[in-house]
Amino acid sequence: MALLKTYDMTVRYGGLAANADVNLEVPEGKLVGLIGPNGAGKTTFIDAITGFTNVSSGRVEFDGHDLEGMTPDRRAHLGLVRTFQSLELFEDLTVRENLLVAAEKPTWWSFIVDLLRPPKTSAEHEARVAGALSVLGLDDIADRLPMDLSHGQRKLVGVARALAAKPKLLLLDEPAAGLDTTESQLLGQHLRTFLETGTTIFLIDHDMGLVLNVCDYIYVLDFGKIIAEGTPAQIRKDPAVIGAYLGQSAGEAQAKAGEALAARTAAAASDASEQAPDQGGDHV
Amino acid sequence: MSDIIFFLLAGMGLGSLYAMLGAGLVIVYRGSGVINFAQGAFAMYGVFTFDEARRNGYLRLPWFDFLPTYSLNVPVDIKLGDEGVSSPVAFVLAVAMAVMIGLMAHFLVFRPLRSAAPLGKVIGSLGVMLYLQGVAQNNFGGTGRQPEAITPDGVFDNFLGLGKAYPQGTFSAIVFAIVMGLVLWGVFQFTRFGLATRAASSNEKGAVLLGYSPQLLAALNWVIASVLATVAAIVLGPTGGSLTPVGLSALVVASLGAALIGRLQSILITVAGGLSIGAVQSLLVFWSSDDWFPNFLRSGARDVVPFVVIGVVLFLRGKKLPLRGTVEEKRLPLAPYPVRIKQHMVIWSAVVIVAAILFEGAGARSVFSLALVTSMIASILMLSMVVITGYVGQISLAQLSFAGVSAFVMARMMADGSTTISNPFPVSGPGLPWPIAALIGVITAIVVGIIVGLPAVRIRGVQLAVVTVAFAISLQSLYFENQSLTQLSAGAPASVKPASIFGIDLKSIGDKGLKDRPEFVIFVLVVLLGCIALVANLRRNGTGRRFLAVRANERAAAAAGINVSRQKLLAFGIAAGIAGVGGVMLGFNQGDVSSAGFVYQASLAYLAFAYLGGITSINGAVVGGLLAPAGFITVLSGYFLRDANIQDYTTIIGGMGMVVTAIQNPNGIAPTLQPLFQHLGRWLRTARGAEWGAAIKRLGPVFVLGVVIGYLIWPLRVDTYSKFWMPLYGGFLALFIRGIYKQARAGGHAPVPHGNTPTPVSAGAAPTPVEVG
Ligand SMILES: Nc1ncnc2c1ncn2[C@@H]1O[C@H](COP(=O)(O)OP(=O)(O)OP(=O)(O)O)[C@@H](O)[C@H]1O
Ligand SMILES: [Mg+2]
Repeated sequence: MALLKTYDMTVRYGGLAANADVNLEVPEGKLVGLIGPNGAGKTTFIDAITGFTNVSSGRVEFDGHDLEGMTPDRRAHLGLVRTFQSLELFEDLTVRENLLVAAEKPTWWSFIVDLLRPPKTSAEHEARVAGALSVLGLDDIADRLPMDLSHGQRKLVGVARALAAKPKLLLLDEPAAGLDTTESQLLGQHLRTFLETGTTIFLIDHDMGLVLNVCDYIYVLDFGKIIAEGTPAQIRKDPAVIGAYLGQSAGEAQAKAGEALAARTAAAASDASEQAPDQGGDHV
Repeated sequence: MSDIIFFLLAGMGLGSLYAMLGAGLVIVYRGSGVINFAQGAFAMYGVFTFDEARRNGYLRLPWFDFLPTYSLNVPVDIKLGDEGVSSPVAFVLAVAMAVMIGLMAHFLVFRPLRSAAPLGKVIGSLGVMLYLQGVAQNNFGGTGRQPEAITPDGVFDNFLGLGKAYPQGTFSAIVFAIVMGLVLWGVFQFTRFGLATRAASSNEKGAVLLGYSPQLLAALNWVIASVLATVAAIVLGPTGGSLTPVGLSALVVASLGAALIGRLQSILITVAGGLSIGAVQSLLVFWSSDDWFPNFLRSGARDVVPFVVIGVVLFLRGKKLPLRGTVEEKRLPLAPYPVRIKQHMVIWSAVVIVAAILFEGAGARSVFSLALVTSMIASILMLSMVVITGYVGQISLAQLSFAGVSAFVMARMMADGSTTISNPFPVSGPGLPWPIAALIGVITAIVVGIIVGLPAVRIRGVQLAVVTVAFAISLQSLYFENQSLTQLSAGAPASVKPASIFGIDLKSIGDKGLKDRPEFVIFVLVVLLGCIALVANLRRNGTGRRFLAVRANERAAAAAGINVSRQKLLAFGIAAGIAGVGGVMLGFNQGDVSSAGFVYQASLAYLAFAYLGGITSINGAVVGGLLAPAGFITVLSGYFLRDANIQDYTTIIGGMGMVVTAIQNPNGIAPTLQPLFQHLGRWLRTARGAEWGAAIKRLGPVFVLGVVIGYLIWPLRVDTYSKFWMPLYGGFLALFIRGIYKQARAGGHAPVPHGNTPTPVSAGAAPTPVEVG
């Protein structure tokens, strides 16, 4: 059953259709990827799904709910939790507190209890936070402030925070950007672990190695339109994808990513079993 | 109908002043991105300079003699002649003064603040406003003046056939404003300078490409705004009647309304907006004497206009969540996780209780009792600022207004139709006992706080500050000064009956008429401790985490499932509740409440000292309370330096302190002092004979040096400085300065403790921070 499904979803910024008639489906328990060149509208897609930008036309359904008009925080409570491409951690809170914020689901009277009672966190939330920390190997830095962390660690804290919210669908916006190859591979393994614990994942990334390796199904977005979809093996061979990545001239990194993909595609055509670790797709 | 047109036109006289000040606000905003709360104060200092020179022949410079010596004085007054100078000379002097003030504002305040957090900039401009107000009070006196108008003083008998006499002065004011507006528009539209300014406001590189330094442009724009304010006030001010430093400074609110109508971008729309606001105000005043006009709105209607305009304009333009890629604002200092609350509470309570008992009936020293009470109540009020501004990052300039609401409501709930000595006019009311009356007061404050918080759902940063200050002014004239609501005639205060508990009388005034009853001091202490406990719990629990998450990043907070709007309203409610408790305590301390205690400037002054103390921490609120006007440190300094008239300089020092803190140390004093005290506390616990010896060897010379300097300074200034205290004060001051210096040398501030685990080394008792003064 599809956990998330969009029906002809369109997002317009003035004259620009950042998403045009996007039909996309994320089945439960799967890891679905979305790739596309810079400015293709990937972040816009997540923004629209999570309520950070208005959908101009079309519909989004999540877990049997129509999301029309719902605020971002309510969608988060439904289990639709995202990370941000730019690092948006709570700088005043320790890593553990960052996670706790996402884990706690306050009631309307929480504030009265919080005013009157000395500090206390429920065992359930603590456990969930501890779980998210240990899954990503962040135990050692739990009591540090985000500003004391390295870029890679901050990225992981972002993912851990989303995980602590106990999401049904985890939407990751370029979690591997800025990570080195080993870190990126490790992240890929983590993602597969999350899947096993019942979290569905939607992944955006420029790191082709990561996306092609871990995803069950991939959509390709260009100029706001879905130009291809399929399993990693199908995407590798798709001429439209190669075109989109080679045809655009959005800077060196992108061209490099495209070439790497093309090279790999060619390699894959001659030897389908080979899966060279990616290095060209690193996108900062 | 002709009446309506007439009053609309008549109101444009004052409206032209709003228009010009509004244009100045736009110019400054475009030039350096600052919303200049001091724009009205600029106008004020200019027009008073003009009037003083023409009337008395003095030029009074915008500072004060801060050197504590007799022989060496800072020149403040320059005598120009035995009688007043001629108008043109006075005009030139006033303009020169405006140029100087504009340059000082830029180079001393806003240039250093150019990359500060929005709160820092707001604090900077509020600091300038308070400073100019304070200096003007000292230089020109606080009473009203009616400068001679330089516009024609005749009337048009039957203006436009409307059948009424219309002052020519008003007419020329309007013409002046429109012409000036067009000239300014032309300058910014067609000259290279204007082009460069507009280029710089979107992108500093643009100005550089045109061959201008962005800083030079900003300075020029400050000068233009300052001169414009001065000229406008000289030409247009007298049409509005008598002028006071405080009243003129307050014009900035209506002018902000005008500037916001012009989106802080268009001078012409701003001018039109200013004229319209003046016109609508005048019409409302005209209508307010009609039968259909709601009674309770009669006295305050005109002051509400700017508030409504500002609120509506900003609300319609605001967004619930900031857009992606909205320029990241600079952050406030960290809000430290409070640790060892209980130990601190116990130790400090003991100190306060002992002091309260010692100071009762202690002759001249019994003033310290009242000073302690004042400081503790100020700390309560500042705790409310810690919650709303320190934790949630919302700049509210209306906290004292919430305190006022609660105090007024409480007084009214206590009233029973009898008369008192302070108020001979009976006030009707249910005559409730104090706990219920106080509770109703606080709840009302919470409700009002949540209503004021509504705009915060869509408005952020500096703009929210503007809304709240406009609200504070509205509340002042709609409620506190509104006879039909308070039933208080002729400025009489509403009486507050003293509290009592378990048969213990908690009134503030003792039998000898002195405010030194230990029972009351302890009552205030208990309430303060209660508030501290609430805020400390809040910060350490989920709600506090959510507040800080909202402060850090609203989008990320929403993504984490936080309802940002609800958190803001909640914070406004909690903060207003704490402020309401402060208001109740003010009422008990005072024995009555009057509107004068809750004017909007009071919020600004308290915010100044809260910021000085450290707006993001409980310690900051406590230090801020000690520093507050008429608080412990002021009174203590006044006691030791008897003839220095410290209290005359509280506003000025507060204003300067705000500016310096904003530039030098946005964290405030508390986080800077904390490591020092921690170090001292640790040392005191472990030190034995040998350590003491070593310390005396090391610190002794510094102390002696301070003593000697203190001894030398004392005869230079006034004879009544105590021979004993000055050297001692000097000695401790020297030690204190050494400590700060060492700390700065050791690599800035020690890290503020955070995290759920208390830092291993725990500071015990810190000595009373007397030497902070
Ligand atoms: N708030 C907005 N207003 C106007 N245009 C926007 C807005 N947000 C995004 N856009 C535009 O929409 C298009 C899609 O942007 P989006 O950020 O979704 O791309 P992306 O695929 O995430 O790119 P990247 O790989 O760089 O992250 C871009 O052309 C962008 O400029
Ligand atoms: Mg993106």
